[in-house]
Amino acid sequence: MLREVLQAVEAAEGPVTLTELSRQLNLDPRVLDGMLEHWSRRGKLVVNSETAMACAGGLKEPGHCSCGSSASGDGCPFIARLPKSYAVFTPTEFDVELR
Amino acid sequence: MTPHLLSTESNVLSVALAGNPNAGKSTLFNALTGARQHVGNWPGKTVEQKTGEFARHGRRIAITDLPGTYSLSAYTMEELVSRDYLLDSRPDAIIAVADATNLERNLYLIVQLLELELPTVVALNMMDVAAKQGLQIDIPELSCSLNVPVIPSIARQERGIDEIVAAVSHASTLPTSACSLDYGEAIERAIASLLVIINDYIAIREYYAPRWLAVRLLEGDVDVAARLSGLPGGSELLPAAGKRRAELAAALGEDIDLFIADRRYTWIHNLAGRVVRAGSAHTMSNSDRIDHVMTDRRLGIPIFMLAMWLVFKITTDLSAPWVDWIDGVLSGPISRWVMTVLGAIGLGETWVASLLIDGVIAGVGGVLVFVPVLMALYFALAVLEDSGYMARGAFVMDRLMNRIGLHGRSFLPLMVGFGCSVPAIYATRTLTNERDRIMTGLLVPFMSCGARLPVYVLFAAIFFPRYASVVIMGLYLLGVIIAIGVGLLLQHSLLPAAAAPGLVMELPPYRLPTARGIGVQMWIRTRAFLQHAASLILVTTIAIWFLTAIPAGAHGTFANVAMADSVFGRASNAMASVLEPLGFGTWESGGALISGLVAKEVVVSTLAQTYGTSGAIDEATSNTFLQDLGEIVTSFLGAILDTLKAIPGLIGINLSVGDDEAVPGLADAIRASFTESSGGHAAAAGLAFMVFVLLYTPCMATIAAMRHELGTRWMWLSFVGQLAIAWLAAFFVFRLGVWVGGL
Repeated sequence: MLREVLQAVEAAEGPVTLTELSRQLNLDPRVLDGMLEHWSRRGKLVVNSETAMACAGGLKEPGHCSCGSSASGDGCPFIARLPKSYAVFTPTEFDVELR
Repeated sequence: MTPHLLSTESNVLSVALAGNPNAGKSTLFNALTGARQHVGNWPGKTVEQKTGEFARHGRRIAITDLPGTYSLSAYTMEELVSRDYLLDSRPDAIIAVADATNLERNLYLIVQLLELELPTVVALNMMDVAAKQGLQIDIPELSCSLNVPVIPSIARQERGIDEIVAAVSHASTLPTSACSLDYGEAIERAIASLLVIINDYIAIREYYAPRWLAVRLLEGDVDVAARLSGLPGGSELLPAAGKRRAELAAALGEDIDLFIADRRYTWIHNLAGRVVRAGSAHTMSNSDRIDHVMTDRRLGIPIFMLAMWLVFKITTDLSAPWVDWIDGVLSGPISRWVMTVLGAIGLGETWVASLLIDGVIAGVGGVLVFVPVLMALYFALAVLEDSGYMARGAFVMDRLMNRIGLHGRSFLPLMVGFGCSVPAIYATRTLTNERDRIMTGLLVPFMSCGARLPVYVLFAAIFFPRYASVVIMGLYLLGVIIAIGVGLLLQHSLLPAAAAPGLVMELPPYRLPTARGIGVQMWIRTRAFLQHAASLILVTTIAIWFLTAIPAGAHGTFANVAMADSVFGRASNAMASVLEPLGFGTWESGGALISGLVAKEVVVSTLAQTYGTSGAIDEATSNTFLQDLGEIVTSFLGAILDTLKAIPGLIGINLSVGDDEAVPGLADAIRASFTESSGGHAAAAGLAFMVFVLLYTPCMATIAAMRHELGTRWMWLSFVGQLAIAWLAAFFVFRLGVWVGGL
């Protein structure tokens, strides 16, 4: 079952919703979420969890995020609240002399 | 069979409460303990520990509420705390709380708990919700398969509590047996061989459940291995386990822990299939039905475009009366009051008055009049976010991003880019793939940030008053299209991509937005804009006023010089010739675009300053203070009326008498200037100006973020590339407007 889940994610053409994938695999979405979590623990999938993602790089101090439109520096108001997602982890293959 | 010893220290039965997050564990804990509970932290951890004590049926029970976890893999702090407690404290019994509406997922933890061979009772909670969903659970079959008591409960209503306590008291007196999960012949053989060694060492077998220990060692659990290393027998057991793992890996052709987890999932899936019956109510949810249309491969993007059009329609139409109102208040009563005060203190005809009126009020005020526009935008976006639709928008847009080989995670920074480019650039750091990071960072500036909106609203109202919302949405769309084009170009040149891998997105259910949620979002974002206006924009407008006050040559003196002859005018004039082919080759436009590098809102404030629209601010009018207040209130009521009239306009019913212009004085000045500079094609030039603002470098803060995150080389490529693209696109738009559209 776990392997089928990973194969289905890898074979997906473009993004799919958890509901779509659970229907395809005949699994409850919450069970599928647990299996995707399992793969993220093994490093095969990367999980994006909502606001932390968008803010991660701009952290000045814990809980605060720098932003060009926030003169006070007390947090960026434009941090997108986006849904949790799992993406297939692709190792860095492009770290040649880019800089 | 493993005999389990009751605590002999006292007559108190120690019970651990374990379960998934949101399974109703805390509710059950509260129902059991009432007020007799203690809240603290687990020793040395930041994870909350709740303990309590109660007496039922003549038995005293001390209960410990373990953190909610999905497994006992010791991957998270919560899992580690739970597992350590169960292994080290050896409670007399476990109450495993399971959500009856989500049994299959909950069973994964329960199976792991049962492997610990501690007396366990499963509390099947939320039975009422399960019944409402049409779920039927075969409890006897579940109990038989798990080999433990399963008690249905509704902790919220304190139903099933006595039965759980009775079952726990009884179970704790009985010998326990391992869960009957079969891991397959090869694994079972390896388990059996390890059990032989384990059973030889009393220190190990009395401390750990032998089968659980064998399974964990085969899974390669380093934490368990570390626990064994100091025990007698550990030196024999650990190499043996390592040997079995190697043999199994060779025989099975994959990781043992993966194989074991897969067997658990399969066993649980089959068990859930046997014991859970879904009724008619347990079919597609309303959110699923709506998503069937909203995320459809063909309909998804058109629906998203329609939603965005509605957002910009609300933004432009509903805010217009308030833009007029603020402009009227700033250029009328406020300016007159400032003049009066300055006159009273003897500064009425000095450069200080010019600085305040022509600099601060014209500049900052020129930006502040667009606060209602931004509030309307933030309102519409907050509705989309709170309703859950924005997640669907991100999903359908991600399909577009896939076309340029961008991996799924890139859409996050790109979406943030619509708010502000700076955090969006920083957000690219979370991308693990260097190529994706650079590609996404280079495309972020093409996502039109919120700071550009006042420019669009001003110019769309001047040149396309009837189609302002369409023009503004078209600009946002153009940014995305240019980003895709640039992405494709980079993909086939500097940044070749592998095939984009899969992405699974968990869409939240749709819900009705709340007034409070929307209000909070609007306020937080508007406050940030006001803070920006009160700091960076204020400083810039003052700086620009000084530059416009200093004569560049022999003509004029400080604060008494034609703007075109000032330092700012002369410097800006150097840009005019570059902009001439675009239809807006004036020093005012050049100056506004240069100052826009500080922040895009400054484009509007600089235009307001350089076109000198505040010079004629109702100075001829000499109202009393009370008359001014009356004017403010009257125009405020008028704005409310005009807003109400504009609402039917959202669905095509026009109740407005005319098309009032935003900031009329400035609008007239810009129209006249653009008409002259474009040879009579002001609308084409206005559109080209908006396209230029959309595509050229967002601001210096973005440049700095790019240098920091992508490196100097990519920063320069982005800076020069954006300027070139902006110039070419504006040129194309202007020429197309002149030749084809006759604008």
